[in-house]
Amino acid sequence: MTRRVFAVIAIVLFGFVFATLATSYTEQHSLRRLAESYVQLVPQKLGAPNVITGILLTYRAFDTLGEVAVLFMVGAGVVLVLNVDRWPHAAAHSSEEPRPSSEIVQSGAQFLSPLIAIFAAYIIMNGHLSAGGGFQGGAVIASCVLLVLLVYPHYQLNIEFLTITESVAGVLFVLTGIAGVIVAGGFLDNRILPLGQFGAFFSAGGIPVLSILLGIKVGCELSVILDGFRPGPVGQKDKV
Amino acid sequence: MISSIVLTTGLLVILIGFWGMLMHRNILRIIIGFSLMSTGTHIVTVAIGYVKNGTAPIIDRVLNMSEAPSRAVDPIPSALVVTAIVIGMAVTAIMLAYTIRLYDSKKTLSIDAFTESKW
Amino acid sequence: MMEVIGSIVVLLGAGFHFSAGLGMLRMPDAYTRMQAGTKASTLGNTLVLAGLAFYHPGWGLKLLIIVYFVLITNPISSHALARAAYSIRIPLAGNTGIDALRDEQQNLRSKT
Repeated sequence: MTRRVFAVIAIVLFGFVFATLATSYTEQHSLRRLAESYVQLVPQKLGAPNVITGILLTYRAFDTLGEVAVLFMVGAGVVLVLNVDRWPHAAAHSSEEPRPSSEIVQSGAQFLSPLIAIFAAYIIMNGHLSAGGGFQGGAVIASCVLLVLLVYPHYQLNIEFLTITESVAGVLFVLTGIAGVIVAGGFLDNRILPLGQFGAFFSAGGIPVLSILLGIKVGCELSVILDGFRPGPVGQKDKV
Repeated sequence: MISSIVLTTGLLVILIGFWGMLMHRNILRIIIGFSLMSTGTHIVTVAIGYVKNGTAPIIDRVLNMSEAPSRAVDPIPSALVVTAIVIGMAVTAIMLAYTIRLYDSKKTLSIDAFTESKW
Repeated sequence: MMEVIGSIVVLLGAGFHFSAGLGMLRMPDAYTRMQAGTKASTLGNTLVLAGLAFYHPGWGLKLLIIVYFVLITNPISSHALARAAYSIRIPLAGNTGIDALRDEQQNLRSKT
């Protein structure tokens, strides 16, 4: 009872604060100075039509590298939490076979998963031209893997291949950044490759390369996380 | 006007998620409340960057390079939110892994059963 | 003129979405709720996108592809959810008359 009263009080107080925020908000009429300089500099200096991808992969690329590190830690953490000493307790549950999915679902998955994979590749490759980029495409790849894992319960993902691929992609990301220090202006600068013609497919220097590496890394990362949540037969998940 | 509506919607979603986190006893519903709060924060962050009569900061047929600084929406909040969405998903994955281990230890999903750290 | 027709069609689609939400609140058990949610919201999606095609005739082919994908994925996902709910034995509503899946599974088991 008191818990409910305290919750209501907290919600009402937050509601007052949010109402003050919402009523005193006025739309801005022109961009602030930093945003205006970004919108001017990214198409001219970097040759990328998509301003947001130019910011994420060149001007604020160090934050992207930090996020890659966070994703790696989360993947390692999930596998660590879910693999230790769990399966002997669940031995009673794993004696029943996972129920095979019906034919409708299997036909739908066979039709849809190549389309999802092509869509993910399209999103990754067009990151510098239109909305998209490495993170978004990597998440769509992981959703394709999730579809396959849900429809075929006995499918075994090759976890070692995925972890090696994701580590190699991360190392190549950092090496591309160091190449930016050597050849161009600074760490993770995109002028290591020629800027090309504005709006063409192969343009904007190193941004497509970084997008592809990001997409591969995020896709493999999320697939490993998804596979860690699956129940498996006893004794199979002992190797970490 | 548009961004005021989006801002109010985002703040409402934060309030609903907060209410869900405080009131429910099932761990999965608390996690859903957490996810709602982070979604509401993303909506508020993107809504703040709106410029009056602005369009997306992508140079194509609609917006050419010379008029971009006067007509484009602020790109920085969108870039921050792209990172934040992925990290929110990663945090949800860790929370769900902890939920599975908690269920294995006590066979219940109610948060009232886990009182070891209460004093 | 085309905009008025488009607006009416979008309003119809929104009405179907509302009925989907209302059905999910009022239906007696999980299976009927799934049916209300899927059927009405798929049709609502189709109508909203068709109304949008009246506004922008140049987008017609892209909107048709989107409708096609929605029509493929929504029924398959609700079918998988309903089968999963049946296999963990979520109870059917009290006044259910026929349980076709149970009869089907009994036929299969008595044949093998």
